[in-house]
Amino acid sequence: MQGVLAVFPQLDAVCDAIRDLKAKKVPKVTVYSPTIQHEIDDAIDAPTSVVRVFTLIGASLGVTFGYWVSIWSSQYWPLQVGGKAIASWIPYTIMGFEMFVMVGCLSTVAGMFINAQIPRLVTNFGYDKRFTHGDYGIWIETTPDKFADLEKTLKAHGAVEVRGER
Amino acid sequence: MATTAKPVVGKIKRPNIPSAGIQVPAVTTFEQVDNEILATLKPSPKWFMGLGLAIAAMLVGASAWTYQIYWGLGNAGYVPPVMWGVYIITFVFWVGIGHAGTLISAILYLFRAGFRTTIYRASEAMTVFAVMTAGLFPIIHIGRPWKFFWLIPYPNWRLLFPQFKSPLLWDVFAISTYLTISTTFLYLGLIPDFAVMRDKETNPIRKRIFAMLSLGWKNTDREWRHFAKMYMFLAAFSTPLVLSVHSVVSFDFAMALTPGWHTTIFPPYFVGGAIFSGFAMVWTILIPIRKWWHLEHYVTLNHLDATAKVVLFTSIMVGCGYLSEFFIAWFSGVAPEQEYFWNRVFGQWWWSAWILLLCNMVFPLSLFSQKLRRNPTWLFILSIIINIGMWYERFVIVVPSLSHEFEPWQWTHYTPSWIDMCFLVGSFGWFFMWFLLFIKQMPVIAIAEVKEIVPPKMKNDHGGHH
Amino acid sequence: MSTESGASGVKRRDFLKILGVTGAATAVTGCNTDHVRKLIPYVSNPDNTVPGVSNYFASTCRECATSCGILVETRDGRALKIEGNPNTELNRGALCAKGQSALQGLYNPDRFRQPMARKNGQLTAVTWDEALQLLATRLGEVRSKGQASNAVFINQHEIGSFPAVLDNWLRDYGMPAHISYDADAPAPAIAANKAVYGVAWPSLDFDAASLIVSFGADFLDGWGPSVPLQLAWADARGKVEGAPRAIYIGARRSLTGLNADSWIACRPGSELSIIQFLRGSKSAADAAAAADVSVATLEGLKKEIAGAKRSLLLAGGNGADATQVATEVAEYNKTLGNVGITIKPASPLGIYERLDVTAALYNVADRMNAGAVPVLFVRGANPVHTLPKSVKFADGLAKVGFKVSFTNVPDETTELADLILPDHHSLESWGDAEPTANTLHLQQPAMEPVFNSRATADVLIAVAKMDTALASKYTMTDYRSWLVSRFPGGQAAQMLALPKGVAAGSSLRATDRGAASDLGRKPAAAFAGAGDFHLVINPSPTLGTGSGANKPWLVELPDPVSKIAWQSWVEMHPMACKKLGLMRGDLVTIETSAGKVTLPVYNYLGIRPDTIAVSLGLGHKSQANRKYDADGDRTVPFYTGYGRYAEGVGINAVDLVGGDTDALSGAIAYTSMKAKVTKTGDNIDLITTEGSARQHSRGIGQSTTLAALVAARTKKEAGHGATEGATTTQHDATSAEGGHDLGPKEWGGNEHAFVGGAPTEFLPGLKSPVANDAQGDLGTQDSKDKGMYSEKHWSGMAKRRWAMTVDLSRCTGCSACVTACYSENNIPTVGATWQGRALSPTVWDTRPGANILKGREMAWIRLERYFEGAEDSENVFDPGFDTRFVPMMCQHCGNAPCEPVCPVYATYHSPDGLNVQVYNRCVGTRYCSNNCPYKVRYYNWFGYGEPGRRQYAFPEPMQMQLNPDVTVRGKGVMEKCTFCVQRIREAETRADLEQRPLQADEFTTACAQACPSKAITFGDAADPAWTVARQVEDERAYHVFEVLNTYTAVVYLKKINHTVEA
Repeated sequence: MQGVLAVFPQLDAVCDAIRDLKAKKVPKVTVYSPTIQHEIDDAIDAPTSVVRVFTLIGASLGVTFGYWVSIWSSQYWPLQVGGKAIASWIPYTIMGFEMFVMVGCLSTVAGMFINAQIPRLVTNFGYDKRFTHGDYGIWIETTPDKFADLEKTLKAHGAVEVRGER
Repeated sequence: MATTAKPVVGKIKRPNIPSAGIQVPAVTTFEQVDNEILATLKPSPKWFMGLGLAIAAMLVGASAWTYQIYWGLGNAGYVPPVMWGVYIITFVFWVGIGHAGTLISAILYLFRAGFRTTIYRASEAMTVFAVMTAGLFPIIHIGRPWKFFWLIPYPNWRLLFPQFKSPLLWDVFAISTYLTISTTFLYLGLIPDFAVMRDKETNPIRKRIFAMLSLGWKNTDREWRHFAKMYMFLAAFSTPLVLSVHSVVSFDFAMALTPGWHTTIFPPYFVGGAIFSGFAMVWTILIPIRKWWHLEHYVTLNHLDATAKVVLFTSIMVGCGYLSEFFIAWFSGVAPEQEYFWNRVFGQWWWSAWILLLCNMVFPLSLFSQKLRRNPTWLFILSIIINIGMWYERFVIVVPSLSHEFEPWQWTHYTPSWIDMCFLVGSFGWFFMWFLLFIKQMPVIAIAEVKEIVPPKMKNDHGGHH
Repeated sequence: MSTESGASGVKRRDFLKILGVTGAATAVTGCNTDHVRKLIPYVSNPDNTVPGVSNYFASTCRECATSCGILVETRDGRALKIEGNPNTELNRGALCAKGQSALQGLYNPDRFRQPMARKNGQLTAVTWDEALQLLATRLGEVRSKGQASNAVFINQHEIGSFPAVLDNWLRDYGMPAHISYDADAPAPAIAANKAVYGVAWPSLDFDAASLIVSFGADFLDGWGPSVPLQLAWADARGKVEGAPRAIYIGARRSLTGLNADSWIACRPGSELSIIQFLRGSKSAADAAAAADVSVATLEGLKKEIAGAKRSLLLAGGNGADATQVATEVAEYNKTLGNVGITIKPASPLGIYERLDVTAALYNVADRMNAGAVPVLFVRGANPVHTLPKSVKFADGLAKVGFKVSFTNVPDETTELADLILPDHHSLESWGDAEPTANTLHLQQPAMEPVFNSRATADVLIAVAKMDTALASKYTMTDYRSWLVSRFPGGQAAQMLALPKGVAAGSSLRATDRGAASDLGRKPAAAFAGAGDFHLVINPSPTLGTGSGANKPWLVELPDPVSKIAWQSWVEMHPMACKKLGLMRGDLVTIETSAGKVTLPVYNYLGIRPDTIAVSLGLGHKSQANRKYDADGDRTVPFYTGYGRYAEGVGINAVDLVGGDTDALSGAIAYTSMKAKVTKTGDNIDLITTEGSARQHSRGIGQSTTLAALVAARTKKEAGHGATEGATTTQHDATSAEGGHDLGPKEWGGNEHAFVGGAPTEFLPGLKSPVANDAQGDLGTQDSKDKGMYSEKHWSGMAKRRWAMTVDLSRCTGCSACVTACYSENNIPTVGATWQGRALSPTVWDTRPGANILKGREMAWIRLERYFEGAEDSENVFDPGFDTRFVPMMCQHCGNAPCEPVCPVYATYHSPDGLNVQVYNRCVGTRYCSNNCPYKVRYYNWFGYGEPGRRQYAFPEPMQMQLNPDVTVRGKGVMEKCTFCVQRIREAETRADLEQRPLQADEFTTACAQACPSKAITFGDAADPAWTVARQVEDERAYHVFEVLNTYTAVVYLKKINHTVEA
């Protein structure tokens, strides 16, 4: 995989760079930041995450399972206890709720993993240690012929280091 | 994450999340954050001593358990009809402790409470370990622990399933869900920090381990976007979960006929108590940590002050709980109920009842004074008092009711035995063993989140001060 | 049946194997006790043995002189349970706790397992041949020395042929007739009866009386023939109208006193002046002064007796003048014309025939100490323990040349013997008894002897055969054949009679008997010794004078009055306690001229403030002071003292008794001492099952009066409808009771305070529409009983609703039901010294009753004893309090609180109305117990059923008694009353096999079967044919804790208090 990696020490610098790249319609841009910065979100202006869909599906499956397992199993062995209805749904709401939460959460996490593409096995290209430390970065996946002018653009916005990877 | 971000400079289109302002003025650069927090991971003799102590205590409990499994429960202090004793009391105690963590990381997250940032990691870990401890006690408590899995609805050849109307089964569901979710929550919060550690680590083996734990996290915009959404949903789920768990635990009592248990006020009053004791435990843990590892400028007096207000509020809440119990007992006009409460406060059990009232209702009132709210020493002492008080609250709920029920012929007494105490000690050992191991392997303060509230470097001003 | 069974018993595990596959070893002998190694199914069954099906042998109970008829249930050759024999007039199927515990005498782990002889000071095992040889030679010596006439044979008093055989044998050896000794016999009454009525014991007709006055005659505490008396009493009191009113006169309110309607608390020893006043020979003032009661009381008593249509006056007591009192009372009965109506000398009981006076043993002791007794035999009796120390019986024994004991368990007397020839247990041997004229109770072996013992009669015969001079005379092969030869109608008739257990006629007529010896007595002084308290010493209702102390069922059975077990105590009135500054459980030293003991105080309402009481029965200790190891090592074959269960438990109250005897009857004057009470300052916990002695107005044991009932009926007729009728009954009763009985009213302010609460309109759980809801989805409006599962329920059981009624006007609190439950349901006893808990990882609590101290007794049915009235007992002495005895077992609620809380369905509601407990599903969360308002669930804290654990409750061979129909519960499992579900299913199966419907009242539970008051009725409340179905509709019926809407299947019938007007 080939591309250009730029390292920015300052937040506003990276934001400017992003806006510029967007204006230039440069594809396949990845931004690194040690933590969440609203300026960056703002600059990227990405669509809302689809994780919530996973959440919805998971949660509804969970609540269904919770009710089903308790109702079905008590119907399967209709034993009378303390004059309660064999399948008394009110107490079974607790099973429903807990399963709702459990499956809902786990599927949300799954959704996050799928969308964020983790677990990831290799971090050795298009990445720099400094990104977890303090600096911001931009990785543009592109062909070597475009390296030169991208480097110029990024430098212009205050990248302390720009390197092409191939 | 992304709750307590500093106010955004300049105009932006996206919603500008209201912020509690910068909490840690003494922390200025990302480097400082990395270095100071990672510094806490270096083992110290103090730490080894603590760990040794904890493991010893844990072993006391472990050996007591083997002894009990061989001989039966008779060696514990039970005096029928007091069929529940120290084990259930300690179970409820630890479940209660386990509430602060998720409350802080989830509810305060939704409320955008700024003081959460630097304390949530430690309290979340505390939650996980507290629930792990609590989870042991129902198994220790039952007569045939080797059959505990009969409470789990697993498919078996006779399709013989548990009885879903039993509050104990609700516990199984509530506790297991709670443990799963709070563990997930804790781990996901750790992923970016693992990435930091991975990149700082020089030792190849440790590096490889952190690489695995960090799941190859790279801080890309895409990761952060989904991560933030996911985190928000988890918080949204955990909030009702926190409230539900202790309500369900309270059903163990509220669903029974027993005088003193059969009351609808239990769920709110248990949850209140849980948060109360949980925050106390947070103090018990954080105050020494911030002192020993010099994190005073991360966990500032403002943080302690804020938590103190929560404690004060919940203390008043449980206080109201106690009083309304008495009122309802009198108001119901049910003789056994009235006689039971009289016996609880002025009869056989007066001493435990008054320990409870003093520790949970009277001493916390001191927090009305700001001086004391900002005095770590007092808060630490108070946290111990509250922990004792909350253990006794559960004692007062469990034992006096059972010892003074409908049937006068079966009225009785109760004293915990040596083996009960072994389990109590063991539970603390088990809890602190995990916690101490935790704080030496993982950052006790969320690195990535602290970075959010530290002013970032800007082109126009070097040094990054506003 | 051969007697060659090995000394070693069966290990429990093997026993269970035998039950699984009935083993070859059992097949041959029926019940060989060797280990079972091979498991081979029957090739051909031994006669009438069907694996898994019980055989019942009719026999005779030998636990006391009464000789009730019994049925012994055996399974695969092992005796499992003893029940009363319904064929007998005497006990009509009922049996007391003592009688049922005979099993634990049979399987007692401390029984001698073979003969033993003293060799150089040590008792060592010998073979029977050696033993008999030794006996024969020593007898020869005695005779050749011409000392035979000085020999003494002390036999535990029994009736039937054996005493006669014994006397003949003794005569043949030139020895004097034997001394028939019974420490428990009411000697004064017997003497008086002989003097006045001419018979030792006339039959008493409580039913014909309208007033019963007891001068310390504790006919419900084991005084006289207890089961027959209790039956008569209960039948009389069971009639609601025309039931006799009962007055008890005495210093201490015994169980009998507690059952009486009123108590005249006279000073001990003043009964005489009272009866003299009644007979006019003493002025009211003098009598009142002597008795320390008001003149009005005495006048009132006199008026009542005069006013009564028919009265029955009884005198018991064990004071120095008891016989004189009894005689005067008997005379008074004559004057009142009661003789022939309430007292029937014409139909006497033969149970005290040939009984010797206790003083005879004093004489023996003197002669022994004088060295005049060459040889002494003892069988069953234990004079060393039961005689006052001043008699010096033990010292005397040391001076006797040769001491032979036929007793089969170690006791204080036997351990001093030179030769021990263990007798068969009564359940292993042949015999007969004639308790009433012309009725034979037959005794036959129910099983192969457990150990290598031999029937004494056979031993006597065998020895005689070895003697050249006598061999010709003793031609019979053994005692059995001798019995057959004497049986009216011979062998054929006997074979016919054996299954019934009773036969008309007498075998004694054909036998000439020795006469009771008549020996010198010591005169008595009334209340000798210094001290500020009168000391009352009473035989324990369950342990008698000590014979029961090696049977855990009896030792663990709480005393019916004090509810204390595994311990001796001293009863003091709260006023006296206050005066001396004593709390419950404080240790005090009680000192009389004869000796001193230290006991914990039990503050008891029912005793005069100037009197203290101690009961007999415990305090067994080895003379040789050899203790067995407290670990209860179950392999040691021989214990001294009275075995592992009696060792070190309580004190022997006889130590407080001087040697005085009642001048007229030669009975020991127990209650004739003054005692000094000094506080030691220590305090110990009373080992009691009593939580609170007051029911705090919770309507557990309710009572009413005749007046209230009648009022209710008239209301009902007036058309107010059943509802108000029943309700009023309850509340009239309340008012009549001075507000003691509180139903729902006093709980909730009004009866409908609880949703769905409808206290008295119907019998919830049995016939209530609400109870139909209690069946949830499975209930149905059109089921025969509204409280039932739908009749269409697949199980087909839904047409029944098992239920139980307990008539509190019959129940006397004797606790026989508790023992019945223990033996039927394999309930472990938990109080033995090795069963305690760990006080530290290595130190165990070895106090007797340690587990009871922690409230861990396992009794599925318990006898609650609640007091009403005498609230301010600390300051006022009020004899007018009322007592309620409430048998409390699982109520089998239609709407059971225990069920929904169990996470694993270990307890649920069966279609036929049982609250089922599934042991092997139980994980032991104990939530069910927390949620049970009646607190009738019991938990296995230790491995009581696990041979590997020190708390094991069935030391070999006791495990042989375990009922194979009932699981032995493991540790960590909850258990409770099952309504004897094994009996229900057995009866149903039997009916199915015989292709017939279940007959009404065809079977019953163990407690109901044993109850000597017939207070418990069990059956199908959904089928009107059953008695219980009528009983639950009774006007006195009520449920405990009705307001909780548990719809219990156990219905109590209110106790009736007979007031003076009534």
